[in-house]
Amino acid sequence: MKKVLLLLCLSAATIFTFKAHAASLPADTGKAAVVVPDPPLVFSGSVDTYYKYDFSGHPNIPTSFANENNSMSIGMIDLGLKKTVGKASFVGELSFGPRGQSQSIPNASPGLVTFPGTSNTGTAYSSYHIQNLYVSYNVTDKFNLTAGYMSTFIGYEVISPAANFNYSTSYLFTNGPFQNAGFKATYTFSDKVSLMAGIFNDYWNVYQSANKVNTFGAQLMIAPVKGWTAYFNLITGPASGTEVDLTTTYQITDAFKLGLNAADFTVPSGVGLTGGFSGIALYPQLAVSKAVTLGLRGEYFSTKTGNYITAGPPAGESVTAITFTANIKAGPLTFIPEVRLDNSSKSDIFVNNNAFTSNASQFVLAAVYAF
Amino acid sequence: MIALASLFFAKVSLAQKELLSFDENNRYIYYQVADAPGLREDTLLARVSYFLKPEYSKIKLNRTANPNLLNGSGKFLVYGGGGLLKHEHGEIGYSLNIECKDQKYRYWLTGFVFTPYQRDRYGNFVPEPGKEIPLEAISNKLGKKDADSYLDETGTFCKQLGDRLKLFMTKTFAPKKAEVAKRTVTDKW
Repeated sequence: MKKVLLLLCLSAATIFTFKAHAASLPADTGKAAVVVPDPPLVFSGSVDTYYKYDFSGHPNIPTSFANENNSMSIGMIDLGLKKTVGKASFVGELSFGPRGQSQSIPNASPGLVTFPGTSNTGTAYSSYHIQNLYVSYNVTDKFNLTAGYMSTFIGYEVISPAANFNYSTSYLFTNGPFQNAGFKATYTFSDKVSLMAGIFNDYWNVYQSANKVNTFGAQLMIAPVKGWTAYFNLITGPASGTEVDLTTTYQITDAFKLGLNAADFTVPSGVGLTGGFSGIALYPQLAVSKAVTLGLRGEYFSTKTGNYITAGPPAGESVTAITFTANIKAGPLTFIPEVRLDNSSKSDIFVNNNAFTSNASQFVLAAVYAF
Repeated sequence: MIALASLFFAKVSLAQKELLSFDENNRYIYYQVADAPGLREDTLLARVSYFLKPEYSKIKLNRTANPNLLNGSGKFLVYGGGGLLKHEHGEIGYSLNIECKDQKYRYWLTGFVFTPYQRDRYGNFVPEPGKEIPLEAISNKLGKKDADSYLDETGTFCKQLGDRLKLFMTKTFAPKKAEVAKRTVTDKW
């Protein structure tokens, strides 16, 4: 009996030690003479859910996500895979749920369909949304080529709730591109400067082009001082218009970070549209403890005069939105309580007590689990 | 008794952070002195260079006033999560010093600074700009589980680097023979 117990203990100790050592063995980032195994398949993603209440009793604020009123709702489950072998990598990221589908989606199979096994018809919606699907190749340590369907390089905020500080989104995010399909080349001059240039499909947020790949995109990244990065972005095409964008963040102290996003969009000429939008958003954030960070988003957004309609104020008018957000971390789980106040410059674009009004306010409590 | 000892061994094997100690400035340090019987100072210095070039080529070497002392800085990745969910959680920068004398040498790693990684919009884990946490302060900034894990990974990395260095310092490497491809002549039976 003692021998069996001893054998079990030795086996457990060996397995336990080996597993722990293997799990904690760090990889050197330098080149080794010995053969270094390629990084393993990386599996990551997030799950999010939220409660939202609009103080008017109506869904009001037209920016992306969390649009219902007095509802416990779900965002999406986001599942990403990444693998690198030598100089070649791929990323595949799929999302399931309203945030990743109907609220941000290029519908993969639009049109009327007959549901299998019935005579019922309805509008087809794809059952998932691809967030990223691309392959990339490091030609050298400094030069990378990437092709596929990628999260846009424009703007401060993204679809994934795990990568945003605020849970609701800005007008600039909602009205800008979410994803672009195309081919891009990035050259890293140093840790402080890199340049990307690429050619993308004729329209934003589509898996395939209408019939042309004629949108040009470029991004200049500079890091003037430690902790400060700035991205100067341009995307322009005869079908999708021209957006110029500045996205920058500066970690000024250990606790305080300041972000800024400014953009200007002009619709393409020759398609019967005029106008566009412009705006600026400021993102100060202060870590008050190792678990809690408080932040604010102050945004000014205006729709240019013309016949182009934005998810925002009417042409020639503007809206100001102030969002107070906290991030409370409990391991991989982040609770995000948020209060948002929007105010339009002229027209009564919001609804309150069955009457139109110029301001809106809402409360959101979201939970985002990232892995 | 032996069973208990086995479990104790397993526990000790996990606590790689115990390999680190504090220096006179209260900074984490991994410090080792090693004998190299019969080897002169210049031989040892040459072997250090020979070691660094292929094994840790991304370590940036700095000049020092002491000709027997080599100083460099590098970084290594630390991981979190388990199984399929294991991925980069950050990187730890360090300063490496190797000093040689006749028949002995010493080396130490210190100045550890943790930079957390975040997932970017393209699905990659990348450094958070401007976030740098000295390893001494990591317990105040991160949860205990993560802090202990990164300290353990630091201890493991230091030991691994030291073990490789010792191998290069004590072993004589014969020049590589040019590999001759095996050829078969088919014009003769």
